[in-house]
Amino acid sequence: MMGYVGKGAEDLAEALRRRNVWYALAMEDIADQYKRTLLGPFWLLVNYLAFAGTFVVIFGHNAAIHDFAAYVAVGLFVWLYLSEVILQSSALFLREENFIKGLTLPLSVYVLRLTAQSLIRAGFAMAGCVAILLIAGTLPTLAWLWSLVAIALIVVATPAAIINFAVCGAYFPDLQFIVTNAMRIGLFLTPIFWADNGGGGLRSAVYLWNPFTYFLEAVRDPIYSGTLPFHAFAVVSLIAAMLWLSALLLLGATRRKIVFVL
Amino acid sequence: MVSIRAENLSLVYRVQPRFSLGRSRVPFAAVGGQIGGKGRDHQVTALDGVGFSLSAGDRLGLVGRNGSGKTTLLKVLYGIYEPTGGIVEISGRVDALFNINIGFRREATGRRNIFLRGLVNGRSREEMEARMDEIIAFSELGDFIDMPLKSYSQGMAARLAFSVATALNPEILLMDEWIGAGDRHFQDKARSRMNELAESAGIVVLASHNEPLIERTCNKILVLEQGRVLFMGDKEAHFEKGNASSANGG
Repeated sequence: MMGYVGKGAEDLAEALRRRNVWYALAMEDIADQYKRTLLGPFWLLVNYLAFAGTFVVIFGHNAAIHDFAAYVAVGLFVWLYLSEVILQSSALFLREENFIKGLTLPLSVYVLRLTAQSLIRAGFAMAGCVAILLIAGTLPTLAWLWSLVAIALIVVATPAAIINFAVCGAYFPDLQFIVTNAMRIGLFLTPIFWADNGGGGLRSAVYLWNPFTYFLEAVRDPIYSGTLPFHAFAVVSLIAAMLWLSALLLLGATRRKIVFVL
Repeated sequence: MVSIRAENLSLVYRVQPRFSLGRSRVPFAAVGGQIGGKGRDHQVTALDGVGFSLSAGDRLGLVGRNGSGKTTLLKVLYGIYEPTGGIVEISGRVDALFNINIGFRREATGRRNIFLRGLVNGRSREEMEARMDEIIAFSELGDFIDMPLKSYSQGMAARLAFSVATALNPEILLMDEWIGAGDRHFQDKARSRMNELAESAGIVVLASHNEPLIERTCNKILVLEQGRVLFMGDKEAHFEKGNASSANGG
């Protein structure tokens, strides 16, 4: 088992050495997608603002949550990032079939290419998120630094999550459709627009057992309530560690075999 | 010294049995070879006991029908497939020209594509920048080099691909179904570059159904059938034996 982890780490280390490859490809991907458009990648900012803005305007009045705009802006920003990464990664190796069958790049190159792409996209959404916070009157405090730490933690966990979903998706292509449905439902089951009112029951159970809750809390709480959500940080760190262990294991065990199942 | 040695090389893989409610389709298409196994559990023997050795200056022609294992062998030599048995020993830097469109992006200019193609093939930024002018000159694309690739004809794209792959002084070059990039004039240029390459202590392995091309380009021939070596030796022996046309029937 440790042998597999070592091989997985080798693959990743090789990809890190060849960072100019995935960085260049990620930039091309973004540029290609918005070629010949007026706004270019600023569409990413518009997408986010339209989505978050609509929610705040429509549901903001009767919400039981104070500072609804800040709550939604941060929660939605984190959720959109996580769901995009997961959605994109379950079919990653299927999409990269031509490259995988024609080149000898380590699989982690494709993983880091998607990571870089997702981070660039998230950068635009983050600008929108900060804009909403400022407009809503939530001014920066030192506690925001904890949110940055939480974001860094999520970024660190991203390649691991991608590897897990990408390897499973290569062997089990149904995964991409399962994930599409799960993410659609997850938008409602994750506390983005609602909070746990502490009343117990189904809503509290969903809040407690949904792992996405903790990713949102870790980033949101320092900005929203100025507190350090220690519990959420612990859960996110634990999930990240588990994701990395299983990612390296899966990668090491399958990196030479995936080319045959695509 | 550049060399390739393969001994008793085999590649057998299991086709993963998949549960599916959808209409069942042939579950394997990636690699040819012999199919064995029972029920849903299939095994494909793509290469079976392949052995040969090549040294500097050799130009090996891989011939055989569709599905005989030519591409698979090239991919094993390149390192895309890990053999399940036997030994491959390669000394020298390997470059491959399998799919001429790989790593090319339609929206990017020819110049940018040269750079990207170099990167995905493991070359550094500096190396590519140093070679850029030479590659552009060889491709004869002129002002088109700063136009997006989507404005190129197929022949132009092939010329660009060939120029990048061969301009980097590969010590070992693997080519699959290279049907001759560009027009007659460019093909002559390409052929002389391939000769140069092989003469400058390189090895070329070329898989093709194009018999005249193989005869002109190669000095050794390896005939594959169902993943096994049917013939391996000098070009003259192969063409004298008259098995050329039967092996190229596919």
